[in-house]
Amino acid sequence: MPDASVPLWRSLLRDRGGLASLLVLGLITLACIFGPMISPHPYDRVYPDYVLAPASLGAHPFPNELEQARGVLAVRMHAGVHFEEAASGGMAVVIASSSALDPRVTRALERSDILRPTGPAVSANDGRQLTIPVEIKRNHFLFGTDANGRDLLTRLLAAGRISLAVGLLASAVALGIGVTYGAIAGYAGGRVDGAMMRLVDIIYALPFIFFVIVLVMILGRSIALIFVAIGAVEWLDMARIVRGQTLSLKHRDFVLAAQALGAGDRAILTRHILPNMSGAIVAYLGLLVPRVILAESFLSFLGLGVQEPLTSWGILISDGARNIQGAVHLLVFPALFLAITLVAAQRLGEALRASSVRE
Amino acid sequence: MLRLVLTRVAAAVPTLLAVVALSFLLTRLAPGGPFDAERALDPAIQANLRRLYHLDRPLLEQFGFYLWNLLHGDLGPSTHWRDFTIGELFAKALPISIQLGSEALALALVLGTSIGLASALPQRGAARFAARGVSILGVALPVFVTAPLLQLGFALNLHWLPAGGWGDGALSHQILPVLSLSLPQIAIVARLTETAMREALGAPHIRTLRAFGLPGWHIAAHALRGALLPVLSYLGPAAAALLTGSIVVETIFGIPGIGRYFVDGALSRDYTLVMATVIVAGAMVIAFNLLVDIAYGWIDPRVRDA
Repeated sequence: MPDASVPLWRSLLRDRGGLASLLVLGLITLACIFGPMISPHPYDRVYPDYVLAPASLGAHPFPNELEQARGVLAVRMHAGVHFEEAASGGMAVVIASSSALDPRVTRALERSDILRPTGPAVSANDGRQLTIPVEIKRNHFLFGTDANGRDLLTRLLAAGRISLAVGLLASAVALGIGVTYGAIAGYAGGRVDGAMMRLVDIIYALPFIFFVIVLVMILGRSIALIFVAIGAVEWLDMARIVRGQTLSLKHRDFVLAAQALGAGDRAILTRHILPNMSGAIVAYLGLLVPRVILAESFLSFLGLGVQEPLTSWGILISDGARNIQGAVHLLVFPALFLAITLVAAQRLGEALRASSVRE
Repeated sequence: MLRLVLTRVAAAVPTLLAVVALSFLLTRLAPGGPFDAERALDPAIQANLRRLYHLDRPLLEQFGFYLWNLLHGDLGPSTHWRDFTIGELFAKALPISIQLGSEALALALVLGTSIGLASALPQRGAARFAARGVSILGVALPVFVTAPLLQLGFALNLHWLPAGGWGDGALSHQILPVLSLSLPQIAIVARLTETAMREALGAPHIRTLRAFGLPGWHIAAHALRGALLPVLSYLGPAAAALLTGSIVVETIFGIPGIGRYFVDGALSRDYTLVMATVIVAGAMVIAFNLLVDIAYGWIDPRVRDA
C-alpha cells in the first residue's frame, strides 16, 4: 500500500507560509495543554479584590488597588484601617475603633487577595486598636481579569483546550460520516449514488446552523453532543469530495486487479480506494477544522454551547462583548486567539490542498 | 427556459417538504414538553392543554395537522410568548430581518465585487494587498467579534451611532448591524471575484481582444461577464450565511428580528417557534437558491439547455 502522506508532508515543508501556520498552531496547542498546569492561577479561581483588572505586565496590587483594599477592609471591619511601618520592618495594618474591637474582625484580612497576615494581632488602647503585621501578595495578571476576578490568560488557555478539542473531535465525526457516505455513494454508483447525493444537495441548501441549534436544544447542552451535532451537519463537503475521488479511482487498474483477485467490496474500498485519496481528505480536513471551531464559538456565543464552569473562546468572546464598555481586554484577547488560530488553520489547510493537488 | 424554471420549482417543493418534516420530527423526538414547568400542572389541565394543541394524537396525524395549518399560513401558537401566535410575532420580526439581510447582501455584492475587480486588474499592487487583507480578516473576524468592536468604536466611544435597538428602522440604527453582517461576505465575494476575474482575463477570447488592441476597460468589461458567474452561484450560500449571521447581529444589537426569536425560542424550548423559524429560514434559502438557479440559466445558455 503506497503511503500517500509522505509527499504531502514533503511539499508542505517547502511552503513557508504553511509551515509557519503549522508552527503557530502547534505553539497554541502546547500553550493550551500545558499553560493552565503551570499557571499560578487555577482557571476558575475567583479573586474578589481584582475584578476587571486591566491587562498589564506589572505585579499587582498597584497603589490604587492597595488603597481600594484598605477601603474594603474598613467597610468589612466597621473600623478605621490604615497602613504603617511595622516595628520589625515590613508593613502592618492598624485597625482602630472608638469601642472595643472583636478579635474576629481580622478574618476579613485573612480572606484578602492582597494582604497576608504574617503574625499575631497586637492589641492596644484597651482593645480599641489592633496591629497586625502583613505582607503584600504579589500577583501577575498578564491579560487582566474578567468580571468575576478570574485570570483571563489562564481562562483563555483552558478555553482553548475545549475549542481545539471540539474542533478536532467534531471534525473527526464529520470525517467518519462523510467518508463512509461518500465512499458508498461513489462506489455503488448509478441510482443509489444519485439518490444519496441528491439528499446531500438538499441538506446543503439549508442554513445548517439552525439544525445544529435544534439538535443542541433537543439533546441538551453537554459538550459531547455539541461536537456530534456540529459533525452531523459539517460532513457534506467531505462526502462530496470522497464520492468524487471514489468515482475517479474505482475504474483504475489496481482496483480491477484487486477485483480480479477476488477482493470483496469492503476490502477494495478500505484497502485500495480510501488510502489513495488520503491526501485529498487530509487537505480538506485542514479547511474543515477552522470551520468547526468557528461553529462551536458561534454556539457558545449564543449561550447554546459549552456551559460554565467549562469555557471556550466563544464564551469568553461573549463575556467580552457584554463587558465591552469597561474592559476591552476581555473581548480583544479571546478574539485575537481565535483569529490567529483560524487564520493559521485556514492557511495550513490551503497549503495542504495546494500540495495534494501538486501531488 | 420555461422547462428549466418548471424543473427547478418542482425540485424545490420536496426539499421544502423535507425541511418541514425534518424539523417537525426533530422537535417531537425531544425529551420534555412545552408544559413542563417547575411546578407540575394539574393532570387534568395538562391533558386539556395537550388536547388543545393536538399533542395527544398520533405523530402522523399531528404532522398532518401541522402541514394543513402551514398551508393556510398558520405557524401555530408560541408556547413561550403565550399571548401571541407565531404568525403575529413574525409579522413584525420578519420584515426587519429581511430588510437587514437584503441590505447586507447588497452591500456585500457592491463592495465585494469592486474590491475583487480592483485587485484582479494588473498593476494594482496596493489594491491586491488590500484585498488580501480583507479576505484574511473576513476569515479571522467572525460577526460576533466585529459587531461588538464596531459597537464599541462607533457607538460607545465616538457616539456617532446608536449602540443598539432598531429605532423603527431609522437609518442610523441600521448602519452598524448591516456593516457587521456584511463584512465576512464582502471578504468572500471579493475573493471569489478576484479568482474568477483572473481566470477570465486569461481566457482565449480575452487574449484575442487584447491582440485586437482594445482598451483595458473594454477588455475588463468582457471578462467581467464570465467572472460574475461564480459570484452569482455564491448568492445561495451567502443567503444562508446572512441568515446565520443575523442571529448574532440581532442578538448583539438588540434588534427584534426572527434571529433573536430563534435563539430565545431555543433557550426556552419553545418548539413551535423554533420549528417555525427553521421552516421560514429554510423556505427563504430554498427560494433564493431557486432564483439563483433560474438567473444562472438565464445568463449561461449552457445551463439552460442542459
